[in-house]
Amino acid sequence: MQHTQEKWGRPRDDVYGPYDASYLNSEPRTQTLQPTVTGTSVIGMKFNNGVVIAADNLASYGSLRRFIDQERLIKVGSETVVGVGGDVSDLQTIEEIMEGLEISESYDEPAQSLTAPNIHSYLQRIMYKRRSKLDPLWNALVIGGFKNDEPYLAFIDLLGTTYTAPAVASGFGSYLAIPILRKLVDREGDQQNVSKEQAVDAIKEAMKVLFYRDGRALDKYSLAILSKKDGKPDVEILKDVRVENQNWSMAKQIKGFGTQDE
Amino acid sequence: MSRFNPYGDSSGGSSLAIAGADFAILAGDTRHSTGFSIDSRDQSQIADLGDGLFLTSNGFSADAKQLVDDLRTQIKWYHHNNNDHKLSISAAARTTMMLLYGKRFFPYYVNPIMIGMADDGTGAVYSFDPLGSYDREPSRAAGHASELLMPFLDNQVTFANQLDPQTGEPRKRLDLDLQTAVDLVKDAFTGAAERQVQVGDTLEIVILTKDGVDRQYYDLRRD
Amino acid sequence: MFLTRSEYDRGVSTFSPEGRLFQVEYSLEAIKLGSTAVGIKTKDGVILGVEKRANSKLMESGSINKIEEIEKHIGCAFSGLTADARMMIDHARVEATNHAFNYDEPTSVETLTQSVCDLALRFGESGEGQERVMSRPFGVALLIAGYDERLGPQLYHTEPTGTFYMYDAKAIGSGSEGAQAELQQKYYSNMTMAEAEILLLKVLKQVMEEKLEAKNVQLAKVTKEGFQLYTTEELEKLVADLPADVDQDELAELS
Repeated sequence: MQHTQEKWGRPRDDVYGPYDASYLNSEPRTQTLQPTVTGTSVIGMKFNNGVVIAADNLASYGSLRRFIDQERLIKVGSETVVGVGGDVSDLQTIEEIMEGLEISESYDEPAQSLTAPNIHSYLQRIMYKRRSKLDPLWNALVIGGFKNDEPYLAFIDLLGTTYTAPAVASGFGSYLAIPILRKLVDREGDQQNVSKEQAVDAIKEAMKVLFYRDGRALDKYSLAILSKKDGKPDVEILKDVRVENQNWSMAKQIKGFGTQDE
Repeated sequence: MSRFNPYGDSSGGSSLAIAGADFAILAGDTRHSTGFSIDSRDQSQIADLGDGLFLTSNGFSADAKQLVDDLRTQIKWYHHNNNDHKLSISAAARTTMMLLYGKRFFPYYVNPIMIGMADDGTGAVYSFDPLGSYDREPSRAAGHASELLMPFLDNQVTFANQLDPQTGEPRKRLDLDLQTAVDLVKDAFTGAAERQVQVGDTLEIVILTKDGVDRQYYDLRRD
Repeated sequence: MFLTRSEYDRGVSTFSPEGRLFQVEYSLEAIKLGSTAVGIKTKDGVILGVEKRANSKLMESGSINKIEEIEKHIGCAFSGLTADARMMIDHARVEATNHAFNYDEPTSVETLTQSVCDLALRFGESGEGQERVMSRPFGVALLIAGYDERLGPQLYHTEPTGTFYMYDAKAIGSGSEGAQAELQQKYYSNMTMAEAEILLLKVLKQVMEEKLEAKNVQLAKVTKEGFQLYTTEELEKLVADLPADVDQDELAELS
């Protein structure tokens, strides 16, 4: 007879072994704790007639250049581009979600066209919902398109934080690219005085600086140019764009690394 | 092992509200920042809830957005269930409390301020803490510059702990007029933008009177 | 009359080919068996009155209760199955309390009436995950009287069909036909509360089988100050002061 009441009704230790209470001291179940294969910055800016977005083609595994032809710009609907930084498997999840959204929207007759504000709102809800489940999609998103014929550019992060601005960038881009882009478009309305060519040049310049200074960047990138032609949206996605006129002469001046004579 | 932190430091700068005998003011800057980075210079943080109610929620901006969306849904349903009756500010304040306390164990990391005209025609300011504690107050500041703004409001709006040199009696603010209040708001924000890096760009002021809503914009420091 | 309906009057959720739900219609008959209840609205408030039918001399008439308070500013009288009324009143009280809790304001009378009517069609088979409340329609009609900031005094009549209408004066129950006709004739819009009290008692007196006494009627009023049941003393005084044989046209002349 067991004389301690708390033992009553419990499996006998001598038969089943002592109670395993280890689960009580363990961490709760968690989801993505850190991204694994990642893409670096996405940058975008408005111009008088549209939006330019760029993201390079590198998917890194830590500091390893793991995949060098990862496309990170997704066209959604007929007039919106979503640029994705952060975890690449979560990027693929977002790609699938966007595909599902396009399919379900295409059932409508007459087909409703998804606009950038629609997609922005939808993605924000997903990102916020996932962070609230403590199971985030580990990404930063840049959404470019149009709202009532005006250029539209927005940002969302893995917490569901969101804002719109005439120039946005994620990751290193927020430190290195934003100052370059804000020379042209500092605040809402400045894009009126910026042409498509100026915007593309600024983005190219920013991608160059990012390649120089961001160790996780690649000199091969995709460039999406969204503009309105006769009131119709025109989405041009240039692939395999190269960082041009690279100048590494300063590399020779750097001492203390690699094989050098002295 | 590090755990995912669902809260971030993205936010609108600061906001401030003053209630008068026949007006209410809600003001906020349009700078949105994450840490020390300026995300946007043109992100309005004053939400128009309809029914003559306006709300700012400083703190974590993703939660702030969700709170506004929740409130709009609540107000829509109140209209459906109550024959389109206008939601009074006292009822809206209680609704806000319910939403905040409903997430007691995963709080919205925000400090909301709501303004409207009360049923008796006076201007009303209600402020909340993240868990839902709330009160009607003469004035309130929230956000990154709340420590700079609030003492200024206590001093200039409520005359807190000041004695009248003539009578030796506590000073009372009985005659705050709209123009004085708007000037106080502008001064408060110019000062805040001077010392707080997360505050700046543009000051947006919503002024509520019996005649309706007036919005004004003023430039602030942009660096 | 009833025989012709026999094929479609059993299932509570089966329409007849003419598009009628007989069980719901029969529930209206249950109300006609109930004791008469009358409500009259004036500009200052609403008065509710019911006949208390004691079916035995040995019955304690004070134990019959056909007028209930829902919230401080809302009350209701009913006719039909008392137990059904209690379910609805219970629901109404919960809804009113919830509204006050959620919005820091008293619920409007119309909103409260609507929430009571939301219960009405929750009978029959329930859908997946949906709670079924009743196996049959309610057998009771309510007269909901209330006072709110927005519309002042209000009187609503609810039926087991789930519909409700606003009235100046309404009678339900066994004597409702006669009583309603009387109200139609004698009601006028600028009536005072005192005049409404007399009209209500007169109407009840006409349709009651028994002699009108303080112990076989129940009265309540809802004014700006809230819901209030009449005490026995007040009733005795009202009944005593009631003109023994009022001229039929006397009240009409006043209007």
